[in-house]
Amino acid sequence: MKRYELIVIGAGPSGLSAAIEAAEAGMQVVVFDENGRPGGQLFKQIHKFFGSKEHQAKVRGVRIGENLLAKAKDLGIHVILDATVLGIYKNKEVSVLIEDEVQNYKADAVIIATGAAENMIPFKGWDLPGVMGAGAAQTMMNIQGIRPGGKILMVGSGNVGLVVSFQLLQAGCEVAAIIDAAPRVGGYGVHASKVTRTGIPLYTSYTVIEAKGVDSVESAVIARVDECFQPIPGTEIELGVDTICIAVGLSPMSQLADNAGCQMEFAPGKGGNVPVLSETGETSIANVYCAGDVAGIEEASSAMIQGKIAAAAIARDLGYIDDIEFAEKKTAYAESLSKIRAGMFAPGNKGKVFEKTDEGFTISDSLLTKGYLSESELSAFPALDASGGTHIVIECTQNIPCDPCQDVCPAGCIIVGNTITQIPKLDKDKKCSGCGLCVGVCSGQAIFLVNDQYEDGYGTVGLPYEFLPLPAKGDVGKALDRSGAPVCDATVVEVRTNKAMDKTAMLVMKVPVDQLSSARFFKAAEGGN
Amino acid sequence: MRIVAHPIIEDYQKGPLVQFLYNGETVEGHAGESIAAALRAMGVRIHRYTTKQHKPRGVFCAIGRCTDCVMVVNGVSNVRTCITPLEAGMTVQTQFGLKAGDGK
Ligand SMILES: Cc1cc2nc3c(=O)[nH]c(=O)nc-3n(C[C@H](O)[C@H](O)[C@H](O)COP(=O)(O)OP(=O)(O)OC[C@H]3O[C@@H](n4cnc5c(N)ncnc54)[C@H](O)[C@@H]3O)c2cc1C
Ligand code: FES
Repeated sequence: MKRYELIVIGAGPSGLSAAIEAAEAGMQVVVFDENGRPGGQLFKQIHKFFGSKEHQAKVRGVRIGENLLAKAKDLGIHVILDATVLGIYKNKEVSVLIEDEVQNYKADAVIIATGAAENMIPFKGWDLPGVMGAGAAQTMMNIQGIRPGGKILMVGSGNVGLVVSFQLLQAGCEVAAIIDAAPRVGGYGVHASKVTRTGIPLYTSYTVIEAKGVDSVESAVIARVDECFQPIPGTEIELGVDTICIAVGLSPMSQLADNAGCQMEFAPGKGGNVPVLSETGETSIANVYCAGDVAGIEEASSAMIQGKIAAAAIARDLGYIDDIEFAEKKTAYAESLSKIRAGMFAPGNKGKVFEKTDEGFTISDSLLTKGYLSESELSAFPALDASGGTHIVIECTQNIPCDPCQDVCPAGCIIVGNTITQIPKLDKDKKCSGCGLCVGVCSGQAIFLVNDQYEDGYGTVGLPYEFLPLPAKGDVGKALDRSGAPVCDATVVEVRTNKAMDKTAMLVMKVPVDQLSSARFFKAAEGGN
Repeated sequence: MRIVAHPIIEDYQKGPLVQFLYNGETVEGHAGESIAAALRAMGVRIHRYTTKQHKPRGVFCAIGRCTDCVMVVNGVSNVRTCITPLEAGMTVQTQFGLKAGDGK
């Protein structure tokens, strides 16, 4: 039997962060992952994360994963892949299936960081080839480089459904629609707006009732649902799609903890059956910890901090750090965690409907039901600078924990403040230089650079753009409004890219001044670029 | 179905193009990518047919959990093609129940 001081199960953000923290304290650590690639969910997340600098906000998930792996390698942590942990037994013995052989390991402490599994909903034809989890679609396109399908129906408007829809567009797929049985969009408004402005319809109060096709999906039938989520006869719509992606939530993969005998609880807010944990993540079995999505569905940002807290607690128990050092670490991590766990979408607020922001602004009903802001409702928000010349418009209208816009503005125009869930405001005394950095870094792609004095009768809108082919100066097409409807002709006058914006371009299009407040996306003319 | 240019991902770190046999036909895929990816790139969606009802199944989870994607690989049944890397010269066959068939 091989011995280690700490066994970590799962090489996702939580497990890797735990292993790094423990190895830095001087412990001998091994990490097992059943996957052939480490990183867990992170390597599929090619979008920029929310949060503050300390949470690596505005960095793409995949990059955060690469950094964690590099650090684990530097520290000499043993990461064993294609290694499925089968069980945790008495005295922290762990059996692992490695290449068809069961091997036994023993440790002083174990951290379970096995993440989550995708939920499924049954409907007629759901087992046809072409129906798949949203995570499966992500694995195919972002890891394997293969489009999962040509035309796709996304079922679920939580952040997973919204983010994966955007990524499907980036991969060159067509998304026919995003539907959700709930009457409201489940994910962040900014994630929804990113897809709706490209023209993808988002139907709330709709469910999928059938996947049709002989050998694989050829179409999907969706229908409106009543208040009891029952399909209303006569409201069916048949969509010609070859793929149906299911994004209806995640459940913690807590079976290992359960089988080991940890005390469990059913917590709907955490996504299902989870172990009962102490403040540091310890289960009812001494020195067996849980961290990350397995302890309750959250975010990678919080999973990483949870992993560090668990590892620090173990390092203290095993004598690698003293009580004072542990107390300092714990306070710092707890503070960082409470920052990222704040706002309307915080884990504690699951299922709650907010009508007003913390500041008292009324949240756009259109955003909540259709996935895009209506212009009239937007005007209540503070970050609309109507002053002449070049100015920014921030369409960030929910309290979410994120503040890179404030950090990046060289002129200091944007104020979020210390409470990072605050809605950004503009400092009217500062002058926007028109650099466009905020447009490029905003993880929600919610900032636009507007110039109302470009030419006689014309102005420009600078918008974040992350698709190929990248339009070029001089290209003509249509400007789309927030709902994705074409509103006027548009000409690209500039495409700005730079390292700080990390592959997000700022596309500047010329439109008539009366469309400056509605034009939010550019669609190249057919046949043109 | 292959993504040739992506706005964010620069390189999928694929191995060289290699040949393998799919239901007796010589086809190509990249070494190291999943067998399922290589098949999807060719347009294949059906990996197996269920034993009793002979219903088609394809990739569902893509991470080795659901077993919907199993095929007969190098003569061995029940190989999860979504997590098994492609190698030159492999034989990959549609699985019928527990056995190989010719894909029809
Ligand atoms: C579409 C989408 C978008 C997201 N966007 C964001 C975002 O913008 N910001 C953010 O912070 N978070 C985001 N997340 C969430 C984030 O990816 C997860 O919260 C995070 O990955 C959880 O980390 P983890 O380490 O707990 O689990 P995971 O990343 O799931 O890792 C768990 C690992 O454990 C392994 N494992 C499981 N069981 C075993 C076993 N028995 N033996 C061995 N290994 C095992 C798995 O193979 C896996 O590698 C997003 C998630 C999705 C799906
Ligand atoms: S698709 Fe689920 S195991 Fe391969």
